[in-house]
Amino acid sequence: MFFVHEMEERIPLHPSYFSSEAPDSIRELLYKRKEGTNTGTMMIVRIIGILEISEPKVAPGTGMALYTISYRAVVWQPFRGEVVDGEVSQVVNNGFFVDVGALSVFVSKAMIPSQLKFSMEGATPSFADNEGQIVEAGSQVRLRIKGIRSELNQMYAIGSIREDYLGPLMQ
Amino acid sequence: MSTADFLNQDFGDDSEEDFNPEPERNSDDEGDAKPDTNGDDEDDEPAQQSRGGRDNRDGNDDVKDEAEDNEGEDEEEGGDEEDEEDDEEDDEEEEDDDVEGQPSRKRRRKQRRNQFIDVEAEVDEEDEEEPEEDEDLPGEEMHPDDLQELPPGADRDDRKHRELDRQRDMQMHIDAEEEAARLKERYGRQGRAGGGGAAIIDQRLLMPTIDDPRIWRLKCRPGKEREIVVNITHRIFERATTRDPLRIISAFFREGAMSGNLYVEARRQEDIVPALENITHIFFGTKPMMLPLEEMPDLLRIKKTKQLEPGMYVRIKRGLYAGDLGQIDEVEANNVNMTVKLVPRLDYGLTEDANAAPGLDGNKRKRPVTTRPPPKLFSEAEARKRHSRYLSRVQGLSNNNFNYQGKEYINGFLVDTFKINNLQTEDVNPTLEEVTKFTASTEEGGEGLDLTALAATLKSNAGAIFQPGDNVELFRGEQKGVGGRAVKVYGDLVSIRVLEGPLRGQTIEAPVQDLRKKFQEGDHVKVIGGSKFQDEVGMVVRIRDDKVTILTDSNQQEVIVFSKDLREASDSGGTIGTTPYSLFDLVQIDASTVGCVVKVDRESVRVLDQNGAVRQMLPSNISTKIERRQNAIATDRDGNEIKHDDQIKEYGGEQKVGHVIHLHRNFAFARNRERQENAGIWVSRSSNIITVAAKGGRSNRPGADLSGMNPAMKKGGPAANAPAMPPPMQKGRDRLIGKTVRIKLGPQKGMIGLVKDTTDVIATVELHAKNKKALIPRDKLNIIDPNTGAVIGDGKASGGGSRPPGMPPGAMRSGGQTPGRGFGAAPAGSRTPSYAMGGGSRTPAWKADAGARTPAYGGGTSYGGGFGGATAYGGQTSYGGGTSYGGGTSYGGGSVWGGGGGGGQSAWNPSGGRTPAHQPSGGRTPAYGGGLDAPTPGFANSAPTPGAYGDQPTPGVYKGSGYPETPYTAETPGGDDGPRYD
Repeated sequence: MFFVHEMEERIPLHPSYFSSEAPDSIRELLYKRKEGTNTGTMMIVRIIGILEISEPKVAPGTGMALYTISYRAVVWQPFRGEVVDGEVSQVVNNGFFVDVGALSVFVSKAMIPSQLKFSMEGATPSFADNEGQIVEAGSQVRLRIKGIRSELNQMYAIGSIREDYLGPLMQ
Repeated sequence: MSTADFLNQDFGDDSEEDFNPEPERNSDDEGDAKPDTNGDDEDDEPAQQSRGGRDNRDGNDDVKDEAEDNEGEDEEEGGDEEDEEDDEEDDEEEEDDDVEGQPSRKRRRKQRRNQFIDVEAEVDEEDEEEPEEDEDLPGEEMHPDDLQELPPGADRDDRKHRELDRQRDMQMHIDAEEEAARLKERYGRQGRAGGGGAAIIDQRLLMPTIDDPRIWRLKCRPGKEREIVVNITHRIFERATTRDPLRIISAFFREGAMSGNLYVEARRQEDIVPALENITHIFFGTKPMMLPLEEMPDLLRIKKTKQLEPGMYVRIKRGLYAGDLGQIDEVEANNVNMTVKLVPRLDYGLTEDANAAPGLDGNKRKRPVTTRPPPKLFSEAEARKRHSRYLSRVQGLSNNNFNYQGKEYINGFLVDTFKINNLQTEDVNPTLEEVTKFTASTEEGGEGLDLTALAATLKSNAGAIFQPGDNVELFRGEQKGVGGRAVKVYGDLVSIRVLEGPLRGQTIEAPVQDLRKKFQEGDHVKVIGGSKFQDEVGMVVRIRDDKVTILTDSNQQEVIVFSKDLREASDSGGTIGTTPYSLFDLVQIDASTVGCVVKVDRESVRVLDQNGAVRQMLPSNISTKIERRQNAIATDRDGNEIKHDDQIKEYGGEQKVGHVIHLHRNFAFARNRERQENAGIWVSRSSNIITVAAKGGRSNRPGADLSGMNPAMKKGGPAANAPAMPPPMQKGRDRLIGKTVRIKLGPQKGMIGLVKDTTDVIATVELHAKNKKALIPRDKLNIIDPNTGAVIGDGKASGGGSRPPGMPPGAMRSGGQTPGRGFGAAPAGSRTPSYAMGGGSRTPAWKADAGARTPAYGGGTSYGGGFGGATAYGGQTSYGGGTSYGGGTSYGGGSVWGGGGGGGQSAWNPSGGRTPAHQPSGGRTPAYGGGLDAPTPGFANSAPTPGAYGDQPTPGVYKGSGYPETPYTAETPGGDDGPRYD
């Protein structure tokens, strides 16, 4: 789900940027550092506004100036139980990986309906039944997120397509 | 009136209202009353109707929904039964309808009100009104008259309506099973509640009373109790239909301390003897003794035995294997016999008397064995030596299945059946060694190291299976199904705060054995014990009973473990065990081998070394972890650079793909999530790799790197391919001039003199002894104190610059040991840098370096010259007086290599630092050339090109932090001559 979230970040700035453009530099630095990153629980899609840039303080020992910036950003946070669409990135014999935005979701074999069978035809691994449903790299899949594991700057999730209306989307 | 009646009553009311709107104009009685008059054929109709009416209470849409819902439940078992019940219910309803159809609307209204009032109140009312109803009942006969009072056609109207309704109804419930399922869904719980209530009888009421049969005790031959009981059972069946059936009610025995006793339940003592006579092993010498009433329940009390499960460890109580640890392989259905896996103690006939007659040794052989053979896995070869006649291979799936002397040996283990009373199941306390024996061979090819963990936990883990905070569920007992969170665990009791259901919010206590841990799909869990997957962390993907399939975080494998062995993991995952190495770390295995950790177990790690071999190692066998260097570069087959996280592909071979996780020398470790083996890690020489996609297209890196130095400060910038800043030149007089020096090497070794003049390389020394000036390479000079003759500082005179003032030699040395340089990693790391390098001198390159102490060594000075004796490099001496950089020749060589040098490492890499061609010119030279991108002296001034330095900070940092990650050792392939340098 997407949210607008207010966050705060402390960013050091190299002394060589200490000039009248320092605020611009620090803004640029913020955008560069934070946009598209994953905080472990959510992904910062875009910073939509900077609320406040604090007075910088020189960090002892380094000479870098520390700015505390509070900003608003559009973030994406997946939830357990959320139904999301994604694109299959890899198919392995015990499941497949789906890229849901920045989140990689693994759908284990246990969470794939039993009629979808793993096959290795033509060197493209896929899960398919005989009724036209096929999951291979590149297919669009709708899944329910079953669990999310957050690590520093990374998120992993497992998902399920073992439910009605979930599974490969017809193109 | 029962609850069900009450409900039915409602249906009656509402069905009429919603269902037959038109007849409502008339008396409500009509609808129900009329069919009754029509006789039995129509009997079903009200049932149907009321059924439909019930649905309609929720509205038609609802009905459809339900119909749809029910489709899914068609397959439910017992649908037929339900159907029957359903019919019965319908009948009941019908009756009710009949009854209720009678009362006038007035009374009906009243009832409708009543439905919101207390049920009991209604019951009372009903009781009062019952006589009335009875009076009304004969009124059924009056119905035809009532019908005539209806407007003509109303009857048919009604019928049509009902017909339509019925059709609809039929459509909605084409399948009766659907209906059954629906009813089950709706009323199932009620029924269960009612039934449960009836079934619960206070245990005290079940205690025997005087009126109940008594139990008599008889003596019998110990050990034959079972046989006796079986015989009695047979006799009961035999005589059941004869004229004198056995008058005993039951017979039983208890094992253990009560053996030798037989208990018979009968009404009279006289019944016992006739019933049991002629059954062997019963001693009638002692008269049957009647047990006191209060002792009877105790006799039948079952002491909960430990539930044995396959995989548990037991000890054998007697026999050859007494005291030995065994693992339960299988528990037979009778719970008495266990198939146990043991490490066999066999001597393969070694102690056998060779002269004994072969036919006689069958039983006797076992007795004379005085010393127990040591436990050892079964060896086919050993057995064949003397006992090949006793040995036969058992056909099976595995090839390692033998029958030897009538016993079965699978995978080296003895698999034998034991009675449970020959096994010690409590306080087994297996030791590490014992368990290792079992685990060693179960793990394919493993050394059992990873499973030693298991043993450790078997001891520690016995008590605290549940911990506060665990999500638990009662899976048996009266409160079965109640789930909650454990708040307290003491002994065998767990306090649970119930989170759901009617008991929500309460804290209940439950015995440990009735509890199991509850997980949900997607939970992040950790294996805390009991299996070889201990300490794996993963997410739950499937739960079947108490078996939980988890998908491990580390290598995306699915493993099945018992829920009791799981625990919710903190989100961080955490490191496994105490191993200092984590998954995908690059580690130094020995001086010339590095590897990537592909699996971390509790006590061991599995490492894929640079040659592609997987080793299982103890963390203590790993010398160090090699920090991942962010800006490491290698070149691929086409000369393109490879950096971390680049997508690469193997050239030839399997054409494996992956992204780079480590670059080390000319090896690249890459990871591919699709691969199962080695956690997806594979290794290849970088010269055997093709870059598929560089991470983020580094050539046109957008924007400035704000974390580093301001690009505006770098004059010209990297685009100009010009040096950002030359190392500061030392201005003015060379400090060496005027110093008293002692010559270290060469024919004039030991002579003392004054430095009169210097160049970058050579110093003119006026010798004290002879009035003569000698040209001596400056790095062969030691600066000494003119008075004491002691060497000042480290005495190095090379490099033109001296140490930065105030910096003690020790600091400089330690500067050389910064981890960035990797010296610390070397065994010689604690020594001075030059020594550290010496530590690497086993490599040919270093021999070349040793040669650098010959005049070629002057190159060291040339190095210094290259930097113009920069103070920044004042500590160059700590590099070992330039020795590490080869020599002037090396620079000369460098110019030869210059062509390559221009191309940075790409040119150097393929040729490899260790090629003999390099060695004459000083092993490290190419390194230097590559690193600095300026091998020729002419270039030397511009040595630290941005490319080489990458994002390294200003030279000032060099001064300050004393040689941080200099490129000299860092990224150069020249580092190849000794692994420890990286």
